[in-house]
Amino acid sequence: MTAPSLKLTAHGDTNVGKVRDHNEDALIVDAKWGLYAVFDGMGGAAAGDLAANRARDVVHEYVRAKKKAMEPRALLEAALNAASAAVHGEAQRTRDRHGMGTTAVVALVIEERRVVVAHVGDSRAYLLREGRLTQLTRDHTVVAELVANGALSTVDAENHAYKNVLSRNLGARPDAKPDVIELDLAPGDRLMLCSDGLYGYASTDAIQYLLGSTDGPQHVARDLIDLALRGGGGDNVTAIVLEAGAQAVPRATQVLRTSGAIAWWSRRAVFLGEAKRRGIAQSPICAVLSADEALDIVAGNLCEAIFHDLEKSTGVNVWTFAENLAHGWFDQGGAWQPLAELLDLLAASARAVTSELTSDDEGLALIVDAAIVRAFITAEMAVGGVLSERLRVVEADLVRVHSARHAAADQSSRFAETPTIPYVSATRAATPDPASPEVRAHLQTLAQQARAQVGQKAPARQAVDALLRAALEPVGTASPALLARELFGVRPLEESGIAPLFDALDIARSAYVAAMRRAGGDPAQAIAVMRRLAGAQADLAAAIANLVVEAATPATERLRDAMRETASLRSEVGRNEAKLIDLEKKYASKSGGRPQLPPRRRV
Amino acid sequence: MSDLADRVMVLRDEVLDIVERGDRDQPGADLFDAIVRALAAYGETAPGIDLTLHDAIARRLAWGDTEDVVLSECGAVFDRLATAAERSLRDRAEEMLVLEVAAEVSTQVARIVALAALGRAQRDRAARSREELAQRRLRDALADQRSTLTRMSVPDVED
Repeated sequence: MTAPSLKLTAHGDTNVGKVRDHNEDALIVDAKWGLYAVFDGMGGAAAGDLAANRARDVVHEYVRAKKKAMEPRALLEAALNAASAAVHGEAQRTRDRHGMGTTAVVALVIEERRVVVAHVGDSRAYLLREGRLTQLTRDHTVVAELVANGALSTVDAENHAYKNVLSRNLGARPDAKPDVIELDLAPGDRLMLCSDGLYGYASTDAIQYLLGSTDGPQHVARDLIDLALRGGGGDNVTAIVLEAGAQAVPRATQVLRTSGAIAWWSRRAVFLGEAKRRGIAQSPICAVLSADEALDIVAGNLCEAIFHDLEKSTGVNVWTFAENLAHGWFDQGGAWQPLAELLDLLAASARAVTSELTSDDEGLALIVDAAIVRAFITAEMAVGGVLSERLRVVEADLVRVHSARHAAADQSSRFAETPTIPYVSATRAATPDPASPEVRAHLQTLAQQARAQVGQKAPARQAVDALLRAALEPVGTASPALLARELFGVRPLEESGIAPLFDALDIARSAYVAAMRRAGGDPAQAIAVMRRLAGAQADLAAAIANLVVEAATPATERLRDAMRETASLRSEVGRNEAKLIDLEKKYASKSGGRPQLPPRRRV
Repeated sequence: MSDLADRVMVLRDEVLDIVERGDRDQPGADLFDAIVRALAAYGETAPGIDLTLHDAIARRLAWGDTEDVVLSECGAVFDRLATAAERSLRDRAEEMLVLEVAAEVSTQVARIVALAALGRAQRDRAARSREELAQRRLRDALADQRSTLTRMSVPDVED
C-alpha cells in the first residue's frame, strides 16, 4: 500500500545575534526543488560569510542541475564535495581567505515523504516525532569524536572549552566526506536544521517545547531564534523548520498546555479584580495612569503575556513585559523597592486564580500554578538584567567622579592609594567589567590605525580584529576561546602553520601600542585601554595554545592504543611460546628425550 | 629601565603568592623571572624567544607537568602582576610598559607550549609507526606459532 503523500511546509530564518557584527550563516529554503540547507561560515574578517555564501550557491546550483539525473544520496555527496572544492579553491587563491570554511547541513525531500540529510561540521538536523526530539546528525567536532571514542564523557563534553573545534568542514579539503542519512517523514513530524548559534544558546528542552507548539513553521522558526537571542545570542543563529502535513491530533502536552492557557485566560477577571483590590493603581509606578489604565496596561498586559507563554511554553513574553516595565520605571529615576512591591502584588493576584481553580480542577490548577511561578521568576531575571546594566553605568560614573575629584585635589595621589579597600583602584571594577563607552571608542580608533599599519597581511589583520573583539568583551567570558578558534581557522598542525599565529598577535600588539603612543591623550584612558589589550592578548595566546594542545592530544591517545595493542600481542606470543615449550617437552618424553614433531594428519 | 625591573622584582612575593605557596619552586616563577628579564633588557635588545624561559618550560613539561598547568599558571601570574602593578606603580607609563611586556612574555609562553605540543605529537606519531611495525612482526610470529600449535596439538600425542 502506498502511503499518502504529505503536504510539506517550511520556513527558515537567520539573525546576526547580539555579539557579532556580521552574519556568517547562510541558508537555502527552496520548496520547488525540495532543498533546505544551513551553512555556518568561519575564517574571520570577511571570509566566513564568503565561504558560507559560496557553498550555498554551489549546492543550490548543483542540486537544480542534477536532481533528476542522480540518485539522492550520491547527489548530496557530490554537491557538498563540489562546494568544498569551490571554497577550498577560493581559500587557496587569496591569502586573506586562507583557512576559511563552512559547515553544512542539507535536507533534500524526495516525493514529499522521504528525506535525505547530509551534513559536514557542527550544524545539526533534529527530528521532532510524537513530541520527542531526536538529534539526527553527529557533530564533526574533535570533542564529539573523543566522546565517540570513549575518551571523554558527554557531561565533560558539554562543558568543554573547545567543543566547537571542528574536525571536518567544507573548504578544509577539496572533498567534504559528508555523513548522509535517509528517513521517512510521518504526519506531524517536524524536521529542523540549525547552526550552532541556536543549540549553543538554548536548551534542548526549550527547543523541543517550541518545535512542539501548534504554531506554523514560520512562527516556530522566529520563536527559536528569539530563544537563542534571549540565551545570549553570542553567535549568528539560523533555523529552518519543515513540517510534514497537519498535525492530526494534538499531543498530550499540547492539550495540557492549551487547557492551562484557556483556564488562565477565562479567569482573567479574577486576576484583574484581585490586582485592583490590592491597589495596583496606588503603586508609584502607575502614578501617571488612571486606575483603569493601570489595570489595563500593567495587569492586563502581564495577564496576556502569561497566557501566550503558557500556550507556547516559553518565557519570552513575560520577559519582554518585565524588561519594558523596568526600563520605563528606571528611566524616570525610579527606585527598586516600588518595582519589587508591584511584582509581589501581581504575583499575589495571580495566586488568587490558582486558589479558585484548585476547587474546580486540581490538575489544571497545578499547571497554572507552575506557569505563574515560572512567569515571576522570569520577570525577576529580566528586571535583574536591567538593574545590572544600570549598575555598571552608575559604577563607571562614580569612578569617574571620584577620579576627577582626587586628581583635582592632589595630582600626586591616586584614588587607589587612599586607605579604603585594599587592592581596589578607581579604574578597576569589583565585578567582571565591560569596557566603558569611552574606552570602546578609543579602542575602535586605535584598531583603525593598527589595521592601517599592518596593511592587508591576513593573519596580522585578523589578529588586530580578534584583539579588538576580545578587548571589548567583559573579562572572564568564553570569547577568547571562540576568537582563537576563528583565528586558528583550518591550518596544518605543524610549526609553519602555528608560528605565524603568534607572530600575528605580536605584530598586532605592536601596532596597537604604536597607535597609542601616537594618539597620546588622557593617561587614565590609555592605561584602561592597555589593560584590556594586554589581557586580551594573553587570553588569546593561551586559547590558541590550548587549541594546539587539544589537536595534538589524539596523536598521544592513538599511540597509547597502539602500545596497548602491542603489549597484548606480546603477551599472546608469550603464552603461545609457553604452550609450545610444554608440547615439545611432552613429545620429548614420548620419544625418549628427543623432541619430535607429530606426523601430519592425513586429509 | 633596570629601575623598573627592580621595582617589579619587589612584587615577586605578592605575584607568586609566596605566603600561600611557600618560597620553593613557586608556580609561575619562570614566567615572572622572564618578565623581569624582559623589562631589564627592554629597548636594548631585539625581542625574541627567551631561551631561559624556553628551557624552563621544556623542563617542566619533561618532568610531567601538563601544558594546561603551565598555561593556567601563566594566566594567573599575568592577572596578579596586572593587579599588583596597578596598585604599586605611580607612573602610568611604567604600568603600561609592564603590561605590554607581560603580554609579550605570556604570548611567548603560549608559543613555547604550543610548539612543545606539536613536537610531542610528532614524536608520538613516529612512535606509533614503530609500534605498528612491531605489531606486524608480532602478528607474523603469532601466525607461525598458531600453525605450529595446530600441527602439534594432535589428541593422541597430547595425552
